[in-house]
Amino acid sequence: MVTFNKDDIKTIILRIVILAALGSAIGAVVSLLALSFVEAVLWLNRNLLISPSARIQHSENTLFLNVATVLVPTLGGLAVGLILRYMVRIRRGLGPSDSIWMVQTRSAGESTKDGLMSTLAAILSLGTGASAGQYGPLVYLGTIIGAVAAKLNFEIRNLQAISIASGVAAAISVAFNAPIAGLVFAHEVILRHYSIQVFAPTAVAAAVGYVVANVMFNRPALFLVEFEGVQFGYEFVFFAVIGVLSALLAIVYAKGILTCNDLIKRTNIPIQFRPMIAGIILGLVAIWIPDVLGIGSTSLRFATIDHAFELSELTVLIIAKIVLTSICLGFGFVGGVFSPILLIGILFGALCGGILDDFTAIGHSGIIPYAVCGMMAATSPIIGAPLTTILIVFELTRNYDLAIAVMVAVVFSNLISYRIFGRSFFDIQLHQRGFDLSLGRINALTVYQKVTDLMHENFLRLHPHETVASVKEKLAKSWYDEGIVTDESGVFVGIVQVKALDNYTPECSINDAIEHNPLVFTELTNMREAVEDFKTFTADIAPVVSSTDRKLLGVVWDYDVIRSYLATIQRLRQEENESL
Amino acid sequence: MNLYRTFVAVIALWGSGFAVAQEGQTLTITSWGGAYERAQLSALIEPFRKETGIDVKLRQYVGGIEPLQRRDQKNNPEFDVVDLVESDAHFACDEKILINFESSMLDPAADGTPAEEDFMEDAWLDCGIAHIEYATVVAYDERAFMEEKPSSIADFFDIERFPGKRALQRHPRAVLEWAMLSYGIPPQQIYELLSSERGLNLVTRRMNQIRDHIVWWESGSEPAQLLGDGTVVMASGYNGRFFEATMNHDAAISVIQDGQLLEFGVWGILRDSPNQEAAKKFLRYVTGTQKMADFSNRIPYSPTRSSSIRRIGLHEKSNVSMLTYMPRSTSSTSKNVIRIASEWYSRTEKVRERWFNEWLLDGEN
Repeated sequence: MVTFNKDDIKTIILRIVILAALGSAIGAVVSLLALSFVEAVLWLNRNLLISPSARIQHSENTLFLNVATVLVPTLGGLAVGLILRYMVRIRRGLGPSDSIWMVQTRSAGESTKDGLMSTLAAILSLGTGASAGQYGPLVYLGTIIGAVAAKLNFEIRNLQAISIASGVAAAISVAFNAPIAGLVFAHEVILRHYSIQVFAPTAVAAAVGYVVANVMFNRPALFLVEFEGVQFGYEFVFFAVIGVLSALLAIVYAKGILTCNDLIKRTNIPIQFRPMIAGIILGLVAIWIPDVLGIGSTSLRFATIDHAFELSELTVLIIAKIVLTSICLGFGFVGGVFSPILLIGILFGALCGGILDDFTAIGHSGIIPYAVCGMMAATSPIIGAPLTTILIVFELTRNYDLAIAVMVAVVFSNLISYRIFGRSFFDIQLHQRGFDLSLGRINALTVYQKVTDLMHENFLRLHPHETVASVKEKLAKSWYDEGIVTDESGVFVGIVQVKALDNYTPECSINDAIEHNPLVFTELTNMREAVEDFKTFTADIAPVVSSTDRKLLGVVWDYDVIRSYLATIQRLRQEENESL
Repeated sequence: MNLYRTFVAVIALWGSGFAVAQEGQTLTITSWGGAYERAQLSALIEPFRKETGIDVKLRQYVGGIEPLQRRDQKNNPEFDVVDLVESDAHFACDEKILINFESSMLDPAADGTPAEEDFMEDAWLDCGIAHIEYATVVAYDERAFMEEKPSSIADFFDIERFPGKRALQRHPRAVLEWAMLSYGIPPQQIYELLSSERGLNLVTRRMNQIRDHIVWWESGSEPAQLLGDGTVVMASGYNGRFFEATMNHDAAISVIQDGQLLEFGVWGILRDSPNQEAAKKFLRYVTGTQKMADFSNRIPYSPTRSSSIRRIGLHEKSNVSMLTYMPRSTSSTSKNVIRIASEWYSRTEKVRERWFNEWLLDGEN
């Protein structure tokens, strides 16, 4: 039993009020912005002949339609390229991996202006039909608002993580009409831990987002199905198999995007023209397969309908969507990986269900559970959020049977994918940027702490020509057990240990006593490497030298490194167990 | 009691005086004919004539806005007051054919509830007031299916289980929604998916299944006749017409309680009508709580004002409770009720026509 005094209670109540208000405010702002984002994309889609309902109005005028089909993504690509080149500092679209990075490393991330420019580029990308997703940019939109809110000074610990998680939760809650999924997504993908302190405001934000989207604006659901239930017990084996196959599909998809990104980087094509090339390829393919254009929500809704697609059509569409999404995202269109894999997965599931129906005499419960299992089993490894995907199905369909079927598929999918390729596409992106979350939060975080932060200049500097006697005297006067030897220009030479000097006569120079290859850090060494190195070397001091000219910059003591490491662990613990 | 009688007498006197003042004036009003017209005449028009002395002429109208734009020799429109389907009402409003509508043009309910609160929220259009909600449904001939009865919209397209001719309106309407529904597509997604090539292809596939079994109808009174004389075994049509055939003509017709398509019937006044005052008086009269209930007690189109719904009782001839036959009736087992998206209809006019004509042509080749 904890006892509180009056002031404590006041502070606690104040904090609860602030966090609840913060959650609601972020939830409301993010949901309105997210809805505007979605509406803007839909408006562009309608007016630029991307959406099927707009295309059908012009189906008589084939030439006009075909020209528009190629021209719109091409010019859209050019506009996106120019925005990225001239208005975004890091010259690429921002997404969930950046949100994860900001929260995990507690860094400020890119500027609000860059974030908004990236969001604009995403609206243009999706609006002009790029084969990409909307959830990634929406998550980043939530992050921008969260990061702005985090600048308010409420004297609350972990405010940045709380605000960003709330923003992300609201964005997903609005986008899917699924508040619980939004709440869980923020924890599974962004925060990577559960604490009451973050849980409460995040839940409030997700709920507000849901109210705004569903009650006030009545947004249509991503997909709706009427499903009677799984009729045969053995079908769960099929769901598991679909899970395994979907994992492989997801891996192909992720590798595709990364490969295309590598390919374009190896060319000399300037950044501003890269998305345009993707636009041309997309437009040309879309003349034959218009379903590849845009987010693909109409195609997604057709996928659960029996025989809306021929099996051959499904196969072609799955391949085309993987290839074109890889090209679009790899070449720099700004968009997420989430919506395309939802579509690819649901088409794949529908294909599996269709094959079962057409080529076997095995009884089954129709195409719906297979399509939905495929969708979530392929998506879960990409976004690294198995619980979220199961919850999305549960919240959208309110169908318990379907949620259980999806759970089986998702579990098997994640087992396979985690082994082969890691937790999520976002983690791979972060890994490529040098931030490896697969090692655990503590290790990932210490990668971002540099040893230079712990460096100091209180040490004994020696020169190679000094005599053993004088050095012994210097060491005896100080409390050091070793001296750092540099030459005249300050370049590091080695270390001299006091014990080593006993083997030499007092009047000879210390040159022979110098240990030339001790543990040395550079200004680039991070805390994690330092901890590892101190484990293997039995030294209590490490000189820090410049990585370019090996000039001595200072020294780091082992106990400082260990103290800092423990402090980081302590801080993470505290964050993970923080209450209101 | 005496007081009440005096009150009635005063009202009657006042009414007759009024009648003299308005003598000689004639309003021309659209009518959908048949059972609908009979209900209109006895519930609304005759009492109106008696009370106001304004003569009302009913003229046949089969929908569309072209008839509303026609002029007589004096360059006046042919109608004063029109009873339109919702999609036509929107279109006519956009074309500035109808006067703008205000809630003050209608009377409050008997208990004083203002009209704004008494009418359904959706009933208020910019240029009119929705007065009834009717349903387009599929009905079948009981005699044709002595054993298993059709029970879902999918059965309408299932020639093997339920063989026989189907009567359909020769117009790309209703059957589009039903074809989509037959695939198990949830009602909320039907219009979005219909707005695509793939959606229309799905409809085509369903229509092809029944291609050789279709009898087309054009006027609303035909489906019940076609069912009655055994020409077809199933037919699309308006719920009130099927009700009338069953109750008044003992037809063996049952309605499938799946896939009701709801739409409003809307009163509007033509902008160029020279009889604005009389037209407004008429509209105020026929939208009164009791009048709307009287109409719905004759034909099961549900009134859009809640005070009228509370006054619905038994059908005058057959003594059945009218509420059970109303569209979207809670007592029936209706599922997959769809509200017709009138805005979608006006937007896709060309596309639907083209698709329909192509489909018809395909059959001829």
